[in-house]
Amino acid sequence: MSDTNQNLSSVERIKIASNGLRGTIKESVADELTGSIPEEDANLFKFHGMYQQDDRDRREERAQKKLERLYSFMIRLRLPGGFMTPEQWLATHDIAGKNSTGVIKITTRQTIQLHGLLKRKIKPTIQAFNLAKLDSIATCGDVNRNVICAAHPKLSPVHAQIFAYADKISEALKPKTRAYYEIWLDEEKLSEKTEEDPLYQARYLPRKFKIGIGIPPNNDVDVLINDLALIAIVENDELKGFNIAVGGGLSSTHGNPEHYSRLATVLGFTDTEEKTMKVIYEVLTVQRDFGDRSDRKKARVKYTIDRLGADVFKKEVEKRVGFQLEEARPFEFNDRKDLYGWEQNHEGLWYYTVFLENGRVLDHEDVKLKTAFYEIAKTGKANFRFTCNQNLILSDIADKDKKKIETILKKYGVIDHTNNASPVRKNSIACVALNTCPLALAEAQRYLPSLISKIEPLLEKYGLQDEEIIIRMTGCPNGCGRSSNSEIGFIGTALGHYNLHIGGDHLGLRLNRKFKENLNEEAILKELDFLFGEFKDKRKAGESFGDFSNRLFSELAVQDEPILQ
Amino acid sequence: MLDASKMKLVEELVTSSQTEELIWLNGYITGLLAGKKGLEQPALAAVQSKPSVNKITIAFGTETGNSKKLASLFAAKAKKVGINAKMADLNQYRLNDLQKEEYFIAIVSTHGDGEPPAAAKKFFDHIHANGSKLEKMNYGVLALGDTSYPLFCKAGEQVDLQLSKMGAQRLVPLQKCDTDFEADAEAWFDGVLKQLTTASGSAVPAVVTTAAKKSTGKKIYNGTVLASVNLNDRGSNKETFHIEIEAEGVEYLPGDALGVVPGNPQHKVEAIIKLLELDADKKYTFRNDEYTAFDLLKKKLEIVYLPERVVNAYASLVSQDIPATRISLLDLLKIYPLKNSDHFEQLIGILEPIAPRLYSISSSPEAHSGEVHITVARDKFSVNDELKYGLCSNFLAQFEVGQEVQFYIHKNSQFRLPADDKDVIMIGPGTGIAPFRSFIAHRDATGSNGKNWLFFGDQHFVTDFLYQTEIQNWVETGSLSKIDLAFSRDQEEKIYVQHKLKKKGKEVFDWLQSGATVYVCGTKEPMSIDVENALAEIIQTHGNKKETEALEFINELKSEGRYLKDVY
Repeated sequence: MSDTNQNLSSVERIKIASNGLRGTIKESVADELTGSIPEEDANLFKFHGMYQQDDRDRREERAQKKLERLYSFMIRLRLPGGFMTPEQWLATHDIAGKNSTGVIKITTRQTIQLHGLLKRKIKPTIQAFNLAKLDSIATCGDVNRNVICAAHPKLSPVHAQIFAYADKISEALKPKTRAYYEIWLDEEKLSEKTEEDPLYQARYLPRKFKIGIGIPPNNDVDVLINDLALIAIVENDELKGFNIAVGGGLSSTHGNPEHYSRLATVLGFTDTEEKTMKVIYEVLTVQRDFGDRSDRKKARVKYTIDRLGADVFKKEVEKRVGFQLEEARPFEFNDRKDLYGWEQNHEGLWYYTVFLENGRVLDHEDVKLKTAFYEIAKTGKANFRFTCNQNLILSDIADKDKKKIETILKKYGVIDHTNNASPVRKNSIACVALNTCPLALAEAQRYLPSLISKIEPLLEKYGLQDEEIIIRMTGCPNGCGRSSNSEIGFIGTALGHYNLHIGGDHLGLRLNRKFKENLNEEAILKELDFLFGEFKDKRKAGESFGDFSNRLFSELAVQDEPILQ
Repeated sequence: MLDASKMKLVEELVTSSQTEELIWLNGYITGLLAGKKGLEQPALAAVQSKPSVNKITIAFGTETGNSKKLASLFAAKAKKVGINAKMADLNQYRLNDLQKEEYFIAIVSTHGDGEPPAAAKKFFDHIHANGSKLEKMNYGVLALGDTSYPLFCKAGEQVDLQLSKMGAQRLVPLQKCDTDFEADAEAWFDGVLKQLTTASGSAVPAVVTTAAKKSTGKKIYNGTVLASVNLNDRGSNKETFHIEIEAEGVEYLPGDALGVVPGNPQHKVEAIIKLLELDADKKYTFRNDEYTAFDLLKKKLEIVYLPERVVNAYASLVSQDIPATRISLLDLLKIYPLKNSDHFEQLIGILEPIAPRLYSISSSPEAHSGEVHITVARDKFSVNDELKYGLCSNFLAQFEVGQEVQFYIHKNSQFRLPADDKDVIMIGPGTGIAPFRSFIAHRDATGSNGKNWLFFGDQHFVTDFLYQTEIQNWVETGSLSKIDLAFSRDQEEKIYVQHKLKKKGKEVFDWLQSGATVYVCGTKEPMSIDVENALAEIIQTHGNKKETEALEFINELKSEGRYLKDVY
């Protein structure tokens, strides 16, 4: 149907030839000569929820030792809406200790990643997850990924009803192939024929597809950065339906204006569940049929919608669902944050949101996060929820159990840790980057904490320490850390060097712009010193840093310099 | 007849010797006199008279196959002159038969610190423990050894002495042979045959004939270290150094070993010099050569770990009771000081030279021209909770690029690649990989078309896969036809090469059936034993054989030179 599909990209060919995402994964995993898998299977691995990585810090030394790269795998769970039972947390804790680095990483898409899994540990890991009713199906690859949803049940009395959509969508859009069960769980192959998959067919989507559900007025999920955004419309504590927006996505490329970040465009509104689900499904089929399959850098739905035009895209969806979308309902976001500490929902259940720097759950000298969560999970009195800001909410705690949970949190220093983190630190996000991400150009999660420690005194210098400024860092322009819609965004260009972006709004509804490029730490701090000084002197009453810097941007008339190679 | 000073020496010698030693001396001097008259033997063909002896036993205890090879050669020679020679592997020899033997020729090599080969251990213990008399026996001992070691041919000497003590009659004097043993051994056996064909039955004194040190002996190469890298990754329990040495004109074949004499640690040498208040530059004589005190302690004398016999000798020197133990010279000198530093010369007299260490060469002259590579595991052990390193492996591990190193090539003719079109199965876990890196590189470089199958194992895949990227390349290019890996500690149950071998049993047996040669390199115990058991099991299972038939099959492989071991 599309005229751009003349030259299929190599990944397209791999998918079609994969026999339902099976490829030669079994043989590659059994190959004892290497800890890696060949490229074709590595592409298919993503659909099973895993990325092949290697420790980039160790490449040179291992080459000298005549050892291959230190390959390992990252596995990402499918946790629609970011929810786990205490039993599932215990299982994850044990698996992480036994098979991976031990660190449990909460991602910006509300799920959990384990890193450093050696090839031979993959199968036992997936089997152990399976026993805990957890899987990693379709958490990477050209499919619908983990569906995210506004995290905190206090956000709305109908949170549970909205949250349930995450699971429904996830199930409805799951690939039909049994490959995962056969390869990892030893399910017997029933037929030689590859399963029919009316949604994905043999070619799957042209690129990854992300769906998010937001509940105004808190935009904690950054809903508009998703390929498909559902904005819940709640009136008088009743769910009326969803505004449907298409075409968000934050990845870009240094030096290529054809690759850009984009926020989703609102197309319309649907009221019933049936209609909403139908529209979601057909947005995927339109993208499946019209998306670019020759250039993966232009394959996301954001480019499809810009190429076709939002109207044409909407008409095609309407044609396929057989009804017209209603006009979008008005909505307003007025914040974008996690509710740290204790909160109570409308039913009287308690929630404690723990601050986790960059989502890393591990035991530090003074804060034993991992031990605390393990102890809490053992009580069986709290569920685990994860936020898109990489934090953890101990959830659904009955009033009578609150004390017990609090005692554990105190014992391991978790409450002090959460209370004492500065607003700017609590509002920060960094992607994984070095040493495992193959795309990283610069550090992110290993570096941002120390940079923030140097930014904090600057804020104090201008009396700005209580400002909730959102700072995000990514090690490359691919956007996992969502730096494009932060108030202060750092995008890595080379080791120790970052582009500095400012001007994004506090709510995540306006992207930031590049202010200075290729700064080292000293230059970053100098620029921020200047900006904070201006902010203190020239801000309007109640103006956020994002809005102020956007204004300043125009005033300074910063020249749009050519970007580095 | 003797002047006073000589007489004094003789008297001293006689009074300080035990009876057994005097008997030996008596024989020794007689032998010397015989030697002075000239020992040239007439050509054997010239003495073709009717043999007076028609049956002999040629016993051998073999480690590398050299003793066995000589035994076969001797047996063939004996048959030519009409003597029926029975070959007996001491490993399988019925010890009770010893008393029935009339003509007994033993070929015994020496290993490590004066030890007999493992195959002769039972025999060795038997003749030392058993009080039985060997009145019928006439015997001759051929001792194989290496003059680089302190206890040259010790095991052979002891067999010779012990048989004599048990009442057996010496046919010919003990012959000690160095690493180039062939000519000396043949000449000696010709002497044996001459004795047998003209047997008079009279005892021959215990003359010891030692192969004269040849000027053409071992060629010492001066090499330069090109690279030294620990192949194990961080977090490994092991340290295995891959060392590349450049040496012009170095000649060797895959399967050979590199011999090197480690130097002693500098700080120990300095501590001894300080303790004894020695002049580091003063020259001393040790075994006919002159060295400065420093060089002697640094490069020549074993000082790190003295054997008990040296400790005992030291005890007599300082007239003290010293418990029989192994100890360093420095500690010994500290705890039981020498009376004065003038005694240093006497001390030198009882110390032994540092023994050379052999390392299987891991390079191929075809693939790595002008270079020799070795693969050395740094030997770590703890003494009273203190981490210690093996002298030589530590010496090598500390090599720096550009450093000069002296070494020699130790030929191992028992561990050679077969013809180019023959298949090989190589089993080499840990540093056992060394000769196989040489083999594969060699076959890769020469484009031989025989198939190559490697079994390798170690503790962990991630940290201990020695030569991983090279092996991957060989698999990629087809130079390595098959590979099986066993990483013992990567899962709960320990998996070793023998398990992988059994898992591929059918194919292993097929390869054997079609003429493949099996090579095993690495630790003797338990690895090589476990591997041999696995092979026996495979032959039983897949060859449909009984246990005894399987052992027979293995013995055939051995005698065809298709089952070769380089184990330590």
